[in-house]
Amino acid sequence: MKIRNYWNLRDLGASVWEKANRPKRVVIATSSIFLVGLLPFAGASFLATPIAAYDAVLVYPVGVFILMALGLNIVVGKSGMLDLGYVAFFAIGAYTMALMGTHTGLNTWEIMPFGIGFAMLAGVLLGLPTLRLRGDYLAIVTLGFGEIVRLVVLNSTWSKGPNGIANIPMPPDIGPFKFKLEDQKVFFWVVVIMILLVIWMIRRLSIRRPGRAWEAIRQDEDAAELMGVATLKYKIWSFTLGAAVGGAAGVLYASKNLFIAPEMFTLNVSILILSCVVFGGIGNIWGVVVGATILGYLPDRIRFISDARLLVFGAVLVVVMNFRPDGLLPRKKREKAIVKSEVNA
Amino acid sequence: MNKNFQRSLAVISAVALAFGAVSASSAQAAVKTYSIAYQGPLSGGEASTGIDEINAVKYAVKLFNAANKGFNIKVVAVDDQGDPAVASVVAPGTGANKKIIGLVGPAYSGATIASLPYYKAGGLPLISPSATRVSLTKSDSPDFGYPVFHRVVATDDKQGPALAKYATKGVSAAKVFVFDDQSAYAVPLRGYVEAAMPKVSGASLVGGGDSVPNTTTDFSPTIAKIKTSGANVVIYTGYYSQAAIFVKQLRDSGSTAVFAGGDGVFNQQFAVLAGAAAEGSRLTGVAGLADVGAKEEAAFKKSMGISSGVYAVESFNAANIFLSGIKAGKTTRAAMLKWVTNYKGVGLGGAVLSFLPNGDIATGGFSGFTITNGLLKNTGPVK
Amino acid sequence: MFAVLIDQFWSLTIAGVALGFIYVLISLGYTMVYGVLRMINFANSEIFMWGTFGTIITNRDIFHYTQISEPATGLKLGIVLISSLLMSMFVAGLTAVLVEFVAYRRLRAKGTNRLATLISAIGVSICLQEIMRLLTDSRPVGSPRVLEKIILTEVWGANIRLDTVITIIAAAIIYFLLERFIKLSRMGKAIRAVSQNEDAAKLMGVNLNRVITTTFLVGGLATGAASFFYVTVFEYSKYNIGFTMGMAAFTAAVLGGIGNIRGAFFGGLTLGLLEVYASAVLGTQWKAVTVFIVLVLVLLFKPNGLFGEAVQQTRA
Repeated sequence: MKIRNYWNLRDLGASVWEKANRPKRVVIATSSIFLVGLLPFAGASFLATPIAAYDAVLVYPVGVFILMALGLNIVVGKSGMLDLGYVAFFAIGAYTMALMGTHTGLNTWEIMPFGIGFAMLAGVLLGLPTLRLRGDYLAIVTLGFGEIVRLVVLNSTWSKGPNGIANIPMPPDIGPFKFKLEDQKVFFWVVVIMILLVIWMIRRLSIRRPGRAWEAIRQDEDAAELMGVATLKYKIWSFTLGAAVGGAAGVLYASKNLFIAPEMFTLNVSILILSCVVFGGIGNIWGVVVGATILGYLPDRIRFISDARLLVFGAVLVVVMNFRPDGLLPRKKREKAIVKSEVNA
Repeated sequence: MNKNFQRSLAVISAVALAFGAVSASSAQAAVKTYSIAYQGPLSGGEASTGIDEINAVKYAVKLFNAANKGFNIKVVAVDDQGDPAVASVVAPGTGANKKIIGLVGPAYSGATIASLPYYKAGGLPLISPSATRVSLTKSDSPDFGYPVFHRVVATDDKQGPALAKYATKGVSAAKVFVFDDQSAYAVPLRGYVEAAMPKVSGASLVGGGDSVPNTTTDFSPTIAKIKTSGANVVIYTGYYSQAAIFVKQLRDSGSTAVFAGGDGVFNQQFAVLAGAAAEGSRLTGVAGLADVGAKEEAAFKKSMGISSGVYAVESFNAANIFLSGIKAGKTTRAAMLKWVTNYKGVGLGGAVLSFLPNGDIATGGFSGFTITNGLLKNTGPVK
Repeated sequence: MFAVLIDQFWSLTIAGVALGFIYVLISLGYTMVYGVLRMINFANSEIFMWGTFGTIITNRDIFHYTQISEPATGLKLGIVLISSLLMSMFVAGLTAVLVEFVAYRRLRAKGTNRLATLISAIGVSICLQEIMRLLTDSRPVGSPRVLEKIILTEVWGANIRLDTVITIIAAAIIYFLLERFIKLSRMGKAIRAVSQNEDAAKLMGVNLNRVITTTFLVGGLATGAASFFYVTVFEYSKYNIGFTMGMAAFTAAVLGGIGNIRGAFFGGLTLGLLEVYASAVLGTQWKAVTVFIVLVLVLLFKPNGLFGEAVQQTRA
């Protein structure tokens, strides 16, 4: 039992956090955020990625994957609904940025609310009719939705079809922080701030009514309904919040990439993000962060084995799932303990 | 046992991958070492194109290094999988790596557009052997690649009319059905073919065309449309593997309409995959190394171990423009860019290589090929 | 808009039915596994892709047909077709059993969450696809023509071709045999028992592991048969064909009511026809969109699929 605990980073982390008092916690939190913020400077270390620029990899795939995985985790991890069409919200955010950025004079931060709004709207529109479905049926309907969004974009002229949209404006500088193409540190810091915001939002919600409702729905939807939980309402909320995060990630991605095309929004992205969630530890924020970091970073780190890297990626998925089916950092069997201590704190 | 083996294998590979050394650059003495890069799909579904191209680049470099003892030129392989999403991850690193003074590529237009901002910022001169999208050299387009982007291949708006003419050649009262594969290459090309069709005397477009996702293998609805429209010429603007499946089904359905395709179909593999059904198909493309001469092709095969592939001549010529620049002492990006912009020379196959101000190749066009006895037979430039 | 549909209705219908039968066989692979495990066998599409190479290898490397050789006739034709059918079924069946062993068995023994199993299956399908990609150099692989595509007759303006007829008849026979197997054999009964109630079946002395392996095997065999028809009709394969076909077949399985063998039959045929008609009317670029919209509508109004019995409430 003791040996197991040694490996159990989740409990280790939780116990350090729980034992700490408020000032200590502030120190832990700020110093870890500071350390993360320093990551782009570690490009010359063993972390360096061959061919791909290290700071660019930190923004996309790593940062954007974390953001999206956190959003998907609200849907899949918190309320237990299998969503295979998450890329649709990412695409909606990205296309909002691309179209508004090239046609209106608005900048990235002004477009951000629109991107989030459209993604949420799509979430509600999709959620209202389909969230009555469960399990695999929901999975295939969401999958279909993801493909529909991509195909509509591909077959339409307003989106310039398969050619994609180029010359999307970069975000305006924030004071002394300038967005540059060759050096993407500022992008990374922006992603980190967005990730922190999302984490903060999820943690607030988790210990309040929606979080409890999601937990109940995840464990037994019928029982939850019977106990007076407005299941459909909370499911739509969960879906829409997930969509909002996906939309925000899309806006940022388009503004960072400067060019988007429909081929960037295939089902593979949905599956990859879902893999991040499950690989890291479904339902556990830190697990999801770890999972997305590894799965985003690994393929670029192992570029030197070039053609076989996807094979290795697949093998890693199989091996980890077989030996740690709840992910690298699994959530606790019952989240009650965490919830209680947080309320008391 | 098996599981233990699996586990240890996984651990070993993970550790090796995570911490393995990436590259070790050793210092070169006395020999002048420079790097040029090649960017294109070297893994993933489009890898065959990129591998064909980089082989030609490596071949050019090999010849150069052998002929010029004082130089050691290296080829940096930049793998973008032909995917704009991947390109925007690899391009920043390539753009920032000042050791690279010239880049052959990117191979695909979408990946080029995604990479361009980084190369413009880094001032890295590009010569693409195969990115044919018109907007890349159009000054009022958001994709305009000036000043860094150049290409040694003619554009789709030149190919469209050529394909329209070549497909309908000798067909009286040609009724033409055009369809694409929904890709960023095929859809615009189809547009140029359709736009050129009214200018071809006697030819008319019929049936409204179609757009078939490039994962489709069952073309029966498209064939039904062709039959309803009564077309006697069918033009496909997509790639060779789908074209091969399609033309087989077209022939099996009893249709004798002329089949034609662009440089996406222009590939010996098309004839191999489609067998007898490909016979008589008309393709537009640019002559390959084997067309330049059997001797050149044999030398290539001897040196590289495999036959040359698509865009071998273009990739070879593009690499040679950079290599001649290095020989002339243009060893910074700025000097190289100037060299490329003002370059005038004759490439392999007698093509005159020089660039217009917008980066397009000044001369060059498309040749017509007809499949005869399973081989691509060059019938000369389409005029 | 409807001109093509009216003009070529019967050729489209025949093509749709032939395609539909290929879908029927692949969706059996999904539906059988789902019936027993209540899980999507995500790797089934790659099992199909591997199966296609069984036929290609038989034609090309065992019987030495080439792209330019004459098609087979008479007895030889029968022998070649049957051996490539068996080879495809063997390859796909073996792959399916392997998938079960690598991706599912250990996780099932642990009784862990369904998502982990799903990701594990996704991992296996990435591996299967990548191995084939590396083996074939990412290039498409053509199959030599063994069966000459003779136009037998013309009915209502539609050509009836030999390969279409063989596909429809043989696929129907294979489907029928499988259905009998599930209905009547001892193993088939065990499969159905496990599908209805795993614990009760175990109590009644059913060897669960064996039943599940057999289910994967039978699903793999059906999928392998589909691979054979696919190659015989299209004479082509590539490492990435699995995804599109698998997606369509999975949709067909859901459309018919997943977990239900007869549902796979009707679902497959419906989907084949739907795809062909939609392509003819709206243009092929809208095919997938139409299919998904129909699927969503069906699921909204008949949540267990068109032909599904309302028995399963999917376990969360």
